[in-house]
Amino acid sequence: MIKFNQACKFYPPQTKALDNLSLHIQPGEFVSIVGQSGSGKTTMVKCLIGEERLDSGKIIVGDWDITRISNREIPYLRRQIGVIFQDFKLLPKKTLAENVAFALQVCGKSPKKINAIVPRLMKIVGLNEQMDRYPGEVSGGEQQRAAIARALVYQPKILLADEPTGNLDSINAEEIIDLLQKINKFGTTVILVTHNREVVNNLNKRVLTVSDGRLVSDQAKGKYII
Amino acid sequence: MLLSLARIIKFGFQDVWRNFWLSLATIMILILTLFSVNLLLSLRIIGQAAVDNLKNRVDISIYLKQGVSEDKILNLRARLANINNVQEVVYTSQADALESFRQRYQANPEILQALQQLDQNPLTSSLVIKPKDPSLYENLIEELNQIQDPLIASRNFQDNKKLLDKINYITDKINDIAIIISSIFLMIMLLVIFNSVRLAIYSHRQEIIIMKLVGASNFFIKAPFLFSSLIYTITGVILTAVIFYPFLNILQPYLDTFFFGYNIDLLSYFNSRWLEIAGLQFLGIAAVNLLASYLAVGKYSKI
Repeated sequence: MIKFNQACKFYPPQTKALDNLSLHIQPGEFVSIVGQSGSGKTTMVKCLIGEERLDSGKIIVGDWDITRISNREIPYLRRQIGVIFQDFKLLPKKTLAENVAFALQVCGKSPKKINAIVPRLMKIVGLNEQMDRYPGEVSGGEQQRAAIARALVYQPKILLADEPTGNLDSINAEEIIDLLQKINKFGTTVILVTHNREVVNNLNKRVLTVSDGRLVSDQAKGKYII
Repeated sequence: MLLSLARIIKFGFQDVWRNFWLSLATIMILILTLFSVNLLLSLRIIGQAAVDNLKNRVDISIYLKQGVSEDKILNLRARLANINNVQEVVYTSQADALESFRQRYQANPEILQALQQLDQNPLTSSLVIKPKDPSLYENLIEELNQIQDPLIASRNFQDNKKLLDKINYITDKINDIAIIISSIFLMIMLLVIFNSVRLAIYSHRQEIIIMKLVGASNFFIKAPFLFSSLIYTITGVILTAVIFYPFLNILQPYLDTFFFGYNIDLLSYFNSRWLEIAGLQFLGIAAVNLLASYLAVGKYSKI
């Protein structure tokens, strides 16, 4: 599903964000990527969504070599990889439902399709009662659920969660991880990039540990070891 | 495609409406700029009209000897009228000159009394030559000097030449200064517009980033902002016209009084060229707006 093959990324003057990193994630896996700040986790995410380019090596998503992806192709890549972030990245002047619909509107989906998809997704993430609320009127957990719903609008095969629980209390964090597991059970590959030791240890899933841009550990049912 | 276009237009209007105060501030800056540009244009028109009028009042007179037959004078007049840069040659007979003199000094009985004491008409007949282009005055004088005719008693060329040279010098200087001031002013205004559009888009940077992350195409991200820019431009040009025309209506009577006899009609000037003026202003402002929007959106959509 996802292959990093001797991926290297340098930032001037001398920072090696990714240093010959190689890994392989299978379809339908739930993988946690852990590591200290500056270890290269965020660079991996950025390279996966086309925000950064590798200096050398390769990244393959499905059958698609995205290493030298053109600017024109990036939107198509991003419709295949759902992404959620620590700060939710919701538009404050739109309701939760409008935020989800917005992702479909900007890609030219018809109103009929949008009206069919949005309520269904809001129900899946448990927000069918809060659809018309604005982000400022709901909790952090509910905002993250809306962000997950938005990430799922194109039924992506991969869901990339970059520190999704970073701004949440433990109860909300647990609910979000439960939701990610539920999505994973439907067949979506979930990549969880996190600092949260408790979350990783409770998951009991594959853990990739990154340090100084290198993969230092790959455990099938791993723990947070740093 | 049609759906995308409809959404671009909808998002463009939504953007203008939902950021009402920011949009209002941007449009106000556009109106101030365009109003100032129109004001500069008006000043230039007034200045040019005043100078042209002054130049038209400068003429060249040839004074004729007394007792010459009218046929010979009319022959000379025809010869002069055939010269290239001559617009008109007006013949003033001795009798007309006397009548004109009397009219001019009717309020001065002493002069009129002195005139009555003379046995004969002391004034000579004359031919007044008006040039087509006062800037070619020198060439005309050269040509007139070549005409040697026994009818000619005297010519007044030299004094007028000095006056015209002075007018031309002042006009050139005024034009140079006006161009420099207008250029500086326009540059400042364009920078102000450029920055206010960039500021408006800066406030949307989060939205742009989110659009990029959810897979919107670059065109779809940029187009609503470019469309908003067009809305700002059209609104700015229309509102400027709505404000400027009543202003001209108020100003025109004052101009008529102040420049009495100069025939400076700003209202007719703007009326006859409104499409040209509004069109050029629209194109200029739209180009600056679109460029600013394009660059600003490009900056925030580099993710």
